[in-house]
Amino acid sequence: MARNLFKIGIVVLVISVAASAGNISGKVSGVSGESVVYVDVVQGKTLSVPSEHPLIDQKGLMFTPHLTVVQVGTTVDFLNSDSVAHNVFWTSVGGNKKLTHNLGTWPKGEKRSFKFDNPGAVPLLCNVHPEMAGYIIVSPTPYYATTDKSGSFKIENVPDGSYTVSAWHEGAKSQSKPVVVAGDTKADFTLSK
Amino acid sequence: MRSHRGLFSVLCSLLVLIVLSGTSAAIPAFSRQYGTSCSTCHIDFPKLNDFGKAFKDAGFKFPKDDESFIKVPPVLLGAPANKELFPRSIWPGTIPGLPPVGLRYNHFFQVVSANRNNFNLQNTAADPALSQFIPRTDFQSGLFSIFMAGNFGSDIAFWVDDDISVGGSGGAGGLGDGYLKFVNVGHFLKLPTDALSLRFGQFELDLPFSPARSWNLSGWDIYDQPSIGSSTQNVNNAFALSSAAQGVEISGGHQYRGYHYSLAIVNQNTGGTPGSGANVPPVVSYLSDSNFKDIYGRFSYRFNLERDPASRNEIQAAGTAGPRDHTYLSLGTLYFYGRSVQRFQGQDSGGTPVVLTAREPFYRVGGDFSFNYHTFNVFGQFLYGRDQNLLPSIPQGLPLPTGFVVGSPAHFSGGFLEADYLVYPWMMTIMRWDRVNSTADFLNGVGADQNNPPASPYLSPVSSVRNRITPGIQFLIHANIKTSFEYQIRPRQIVYLPGTNTALTSPFRTNSAVAGLEFVY
Repeated sequence: MARNLFKIGIVVLVISVAASAGNISGKVSGVSGESVVYVDVVQGKTLSVPSEHPLIDQKGLMFTPHLTVVQVGTTVDFLNSDSVAHNVFWTSVGGNKKLTHNLGTWPKGEKRSFKFDNPGAVPLLCNVHPEMAGYIIVSPTPYYATTDKSGSFKIENVPDGSYTVSAWHEGAKSQSKPVVVAGDTKADFTLSK
Repeated sequence: MRSHRGLFSVLCSLLVLIVLSGTSAAIPAFSRQYGTSCSTCHIDFPKLNDFGKAFKDAGFKFPKDDESFIKVPPVLLGAPANKELFPRSIWPGTIPGLPPVGLRYNHFFQVVSANRNNFNLQNTAADPALSQFIPRTDFQSGLFSIFMAGNFGSDIAFWVDDDISVGGSGGAGGLGDGYLKFVNVGHFLKLPTDALSLRFGQFELDLPFSPARSWNLSGWDIYDQPSIGSSTQNVNNAFALSSAAQGVEISGGHQYRGYHYSLAIVNQNTGGTPGSGANVPPVVSYLSDSNFKDIYGRFSYRFNLERDPASRNEIQAAGTAGPRDHTYLSLGTLYFYGRSVQRFQGQDSGGTPVVLTAREPFYRVGGDFSFNYHTFNVFGQFLYGRDQNLLPSIPQGLPLPTGFVVGSPAHFSGGFLEADYLVYPWMMTIMRWDRVNSTADFLNGVGADQNNPPASPYLSPVSSVRNRITPGIQFLIHANIKTSFEYQIRPRQIVYLPGTNTALTSPFRTNSAVAGLEFVY
């Protein structure tokens, strides 16, 4: 009997938690191509950091993928698949030029890793191939999404509450707005270059 | 102030020199094909970085995995499987997916000084039209050039460049280089990779520092130096090492590490101005009058100086902040042997008129070095030239020569020393010293031929040694747009009264300030 009561309690708890989370969906307009939308800060909640390492490859004189979104605290692996020398560096993180960093040079087939502890956009560059460009968006929370071709996005399982939600697009001015999440919530952005 | 203004003087020939220097530049076709910036291969175009040298060595291809970098796939001129049918099929090749065309345009502005017409003012009586014809400031159109380069697959590279317009006038240009290069043919002989390549066509000789692809506004003097004898000699050899050559060349090794060699057999190219005496019309543009061909050879060795062997042997060094050019020391030598042709009206022993042909052996020998540390590069060239002097021999009592006797040879020496420092990826400073020591220059200028005085005054170097100091700075506005500035402190000159050593002017320097703007696309 006690065991059944415990199970019922667990189910009620899960249902109540689920009921207090929602989705943020909307559209980013004014730009074409992939944009990133993320929740800036979730107060009073400890967020676990993913253990997996996303991979960014340098292949054919390009960063692949061109755009990567990670949660703050994530370690990213950088691979050189080209038979020419590359390096990876960035001039700022989130516009903070003090966070510039250069990973140096490494041979084909090898990786270098870096843990991103500061949120913001990281413009990736290669100092011998100035046309190469890539971006890492370091989200402060695990609540982020990238848009589809139409500019639509959906961030799932965001706890109910008041947040600042930001939208980023390559070459455009980022935009932030307050959003109150209570169940399914809409948030649209119009970005301009 | 007056003396300061005097520093800004230039001769028309200088402008010609500037306009004619540098007949090709970066290759936008490669940028399009590989989707990469000019700076992948160039430091301050057209100066090549280590990767650019390797790209050129490989026959205008990425040295490894070339196909993985091409953004515009080449057009197949036959499926690769046709190789298995050979000789019953044409060996399959490719052509670039985009027409591999690049265009270049440049424009110049020069400032000249008040003393710029010292010579012409003295000449006014003889030809009033000459008076002050050198303007004080002048905008000058330069080159509009087309160039095409790429690879036809099977390691066959091609290059063609042509000046469509020179100095603002159409059709005044000409072919620069036009060749096919069969890269790495040594593998048929089981030679090491890149040990042997073969080039056919018209090309610039494999000089240590390319005048045709120089990044300076003005050329290196020693590469343009002909060998003109004094009035007591019979040497009129217009050949200069910067001249385009037609022939065949074998080469091997690499420009970015280790050994490099080339050996070329080329047409004679020695047409020059007529010597004094009863010349038949000179052989200007006459490329070859015999089966004899000129020979050019070069060998160099480059020591990359990184301690890490892996980094030392790569195309680019692995710097802590990214790949970069190696720290290196390169040493090289060159040798050219040819025959200079001159023709004279003569007679045989029976008194029958004949054309006498003097084929004067000549050679050029030189050494060069280049040292690079990160973005600082200092390099230099020394060259010595010697021409045998065949004097027409006129037997006593006869009006015309019947043959030749060997006289004292004509010779010159000199070279240059240049330091380039890339302050930023978009700004390079240059300091250069050119020096040519040619007795003939001095003697011709003084012209103290009392028996045959010229009709007008002589403009002459003050010394047989011509020194030129040339500081410069260049800015890349974009990777394909460059503006360049050069100030040339030129050797002193003087104007003499005809047939005497009486100076009509004080020694003056024909200094010049030149700005250039060019773009490629």
